[in-house]
Amino acid sequence: MSEFASPPATATGAAPPRSGPRSFAPQSGFSPWKDPSQAPIVRFDNVTKQFGDFVAVKSCTLDIYEREFFALLGPSGCGKSTLLRMLAGFEQPTDGRIMVQGKDITALPPYERSDVNMMFQSYALFPHMTVESNIGFGLRQEGMPKGEIAARVEEAMAMVELKPFAKRKPNQLSGGQQQRVALARAIAKKPRIMLLDEPLGALDKKLRQQAQFELMRIQESTGTTFIIVTHDQEEAMTVASRIAVMDKGNIIQVATPNDIYEAPKSRYVAGFIGDVNVLEGKVSGITDGVIDIEGAVSGCHYKTRSNEPVSIGQQVWLAIRPEKVRITHDKPQSAINVVNGKVDDVGYLGSISHYHVKIGNGQRVTALRANTAMTVGPPISWEDDVWMDWPTEAGIILTS
Amino acid sequence: MQTRFSWFNVTSIVLGFAFLYIPILLLVIYSFNESRLVTVWGGWSTKWYGSLLNNEQLLTAGWVTLRVAFISATFATILGTLAAIVLTRLGAFRGRTLFSGLVFAPLVMPEVITGLSLLLLFVAIGMDRGFWTITIAHITFSMCFAAVVVQSRLLDFDKSVEEAAMDLGATPVNSFFQVTLPIIAPAVISAWLLAFTLSLDDLVIASFTTGPGATTLPMKIYSQVRLGVTPEINAVSTIMIAFVTVGVLAASYITKRSTMKAAADARKAQ
Amino acid sequence: MRRWYVIAAPYIWLLLFFLIPFFIVFKLSLSDMARAMPPYVPVFDMSGLANFFSQLDFENYTFLLSDPLYINAYTSSLKIAAVATMFTLLVGYPIAYGMARAPREWRPTLMMLVILPFWTSFLIRVYAWIGILKKEGLLNLFLMNYGIISEPLNIMNTTTAVYIGIVYSYLPFMILPLYSSLEKISPALNEAAEDLGSPPWRAFWQVTFPLSMPGVIAGCLLVFIPATGEFVIPDLLGGSETLMIGKTLWSEFFNNSDWPVSSAVAVVLLLALVVPIVVFQRMQQREREAV
Repeated sequence: MSEFASPPATATGAAPPRSGPRSFAPQSGFSPWKDPSQAPIVRFDNVTKQFGDFVAVKSCTLDIYEREFFALLGPSGCGKSTLLRMLAGFEQPTDGRIMVQGKDITALPPYERSDVNMMFQSYALFPHMTVESNIGFGLRQEGMPKGEIAARVEEAMAMVELKPFAKRKPNQLSGGQQQRVALARAIAKKPRIMLLDEPLGALDKKLRQQAQFELMRIQESTGTTFIIVTHDQEEAMTVASRIAVMDKGNIIQVATPNDIYEAPKSRYVAGFIGDVNVLEGKVSGITDGVIDIEGAVSGCHYKTRSNEPVSIGQQVWLAIRPEKVRITHDKPQSAINVVNGKVDDVGYLGSISHYHVKIGNGQRVTALRANTAMTVGPPISWEDDVWMDWPTEAGIILTS
Repeated sequence: MQTRFSWFNVTSIVLGFAFLYIPILLLVIYSFNESRLVTVWGGWSTKWYGSLLNNEQLLTAGWVTLRVAFISATFATILGTLAAIVLTRLGAFRGRTLFSGLVFAPLVMPEVITGLSLLLLFVAIGMDRGFWTITIAHITFSMCFAAVVVQSRLLDFDKSVEEAAMDLGATPVNSFFQVTLPIIAPAVISAWLLAFTLSLDDLVIASFTTGPGATTLPMKIYSQVRLGVTPEINAVSTIMIAFVTVGVLAASYITKRSTMKAAADARKAQ
Repeated sequence: MRRWYVIAAPYIWLLLFFLIPFFIVFKLSLSDMARAMPPYVPVFDMSGLANFFSQLDFENYTFLLSDPLYINAYTSSLKIAAVATMFTLLVGYPIAYGMARAPREWRPTLMMLVILPFWTSFLIRVYAWIGILKKEGLLNLFLMNYGIISEPLNIMNTTTAVYIGIVYSYLPFMILPLYSSLEKISPALNEAAEDLGSPPWRAFWQVTFPLSMPGVIAGCLLVFIPATGEFVIPDLLGGSETLMIGKTLWSEFFNNSDWPVSSAVAVVLLLALVVPIVVFQRMQQREREAV
């Protein structure tokens, strides 16, 4: 894969062999978005797209940098696919501009956007062509000499391990193989920017995880900028260097997976990425970066460390991840960050258990506990009266 | 999922198909009747087929019909395919509503009206009536049938295949010839076959738009049928039925084989 | 731009050979008959709009209204088409239902068997019935041979023969839309209805039939519209008592050479069909947009 391998600082060869939230940035120091001297490779400049009365994308501004693996995440209908299709050239923005490497490409038709290629959700393989000629299709359009096409096709097939299937037609391939043809077909054009529209949506869970690592490997070894659209938050967390969370045509937050999880900016983002408990309250005091909150449930006081600019008396929400909540039968010594309630439901998942507890105002708070041998005391069961507490660092202040 | 025949379903299918096929079957059987009297069975014979070969008028009419059908089916398929593309791929434009009305109206328009109106047009523009006016008339109504056949295929294939072609650098024209056309080819072929048989069949419109020297087979058959049932007409009819049946069976065999092959391929891929 | 060539080719063809001819028919229906070739006073040399309107005359329409022949032909066409459509529905529904509930591997074959007669010549299929229905025809021969009747039935050259002809010729048009809407209905719905206490026949009326309504309407329109203007069937199978407007138009044109009156008949026939045609178009439109 000599031609594809460029020697970027991020090319580590193998993908990190761990799942779950992966923070790309701290590992490699790759964070061009923090560097003001870096020019973005893609810039959406105040882009709006309307279909009749329906606003699919509302004046979005977004910069994406070279070699990023960028994820557009959101529920279906949030405008993420429309944003991607505008970059590919299939939709024209109603308003705003799209720049690639500083050039305005808003008016170019898709076949003149040679920097950008797309992998489709349905794969969109040409049913009447073999794997080989599917992959060579884009190169033939450029009028590339035959020998060169053959070499490039060979190379692309090797990258996704499709060589034994070169002469097959798409309907003679399994879903996973079709997905790899779709990937190879776009990659063979060597675009600077690769767009992936729900690329793994049709695969089953096991295959999907494999394919995610394969995407990451190819992205790193070719040094291409990948922009992926997905509604699967785990997938976004696994593959992306940065994630843009979208809702109803708006970009809500753009950040690294780590920041999205640990420091969501709104209840929407907190709730979309993973499970979260949200407790309502009013700010009652601010001292040295620690905020005191008077809970909406009477008698509850919370304290949390935050730089969020808030004022006394402001309504806020405190978000706490379930795995950070401790659950016990005994009342904790401190009276801060403690809630009391009755166990409503217990979900046993093998390695961990979920406890759903109904607290004073009828709200449910969820705690997670690992089922290790070290767990002491009597097991927690339905209808038990329990106490839950969490450290000052665990709570996140949300103002919207 | 219920997959067995129930007695009610079998009965209604059997009776229904008996109704559809017995008249045709009788017609075919009686074309081999020795006797000139249609209702008296006089033993098997192929003599009426032999006498067809000497019927100069009938043969000429048959040849005219085939030529009209071939030319009109070809033009109708091209125009119909273009119309289908306009309706499914080109989006909104001024006059689109009128256009879609014009494409679908001829499908349900009584033939007498279409025939009369075309004749009046040809008279008004002073065009000599004959072979070409019939051909133009046939192109006009069969292009609409062709458009419907191609359109339904264009509607149910994945549009992103065409987008993929353009994304990979193919211009709209290239993407049509390299990707769209090969995929919709079966529909285009059946559109052609449909246009061809519609033209072979047509009596009313051809009667209005014809001129001296251009008599089609249905017109010839009609004028003889009015005089009564003859074994000779039964023989011509049988040949036409055989012609169409073989064509339809062959076409469906080809599609069946290709779908079975696709299914086998899909199984192999698992 | 290339896009415009693609639109222009079929558009211009249809304007020229479908829309404009209608205006000519309309115009001609307002002009006078003449014994000449062409047998009408030409009105195409329009020397101005005022002139055009002053030449208009509704004489042909008054003539149609004053002669009961035309009014009868008009109403009896609608009646015959409506009755025949109902019979076609009654015959076609059980067949379509049986096909939709047949084993899956049988369905394509059954479909093809329905379509096959549609591909064979309309004229020939109507002609086939002459040999069956006429006085010394095969049906009477058969029935008398088995002693079911002693006197031959008089079906040929009656309206009954026209009904049989229409039902027979248009049956595929009824079955196909019915089948496609019945096939979409999952048998699980009937099972659910029966599970909830509804006997099969009631499950049919309360679940299957309402869900097949789009197919019923489409099938009925596909039969009714062309049957109203039908010429071949009433001409070959019907007698002098069977009045249908398509046949009237034909004989007015070919036998009386009265082009203006046949144009007027065509306009009136079209007016009768405007409503069902528009309904049909709307339905097709909705189906296409639902895809």
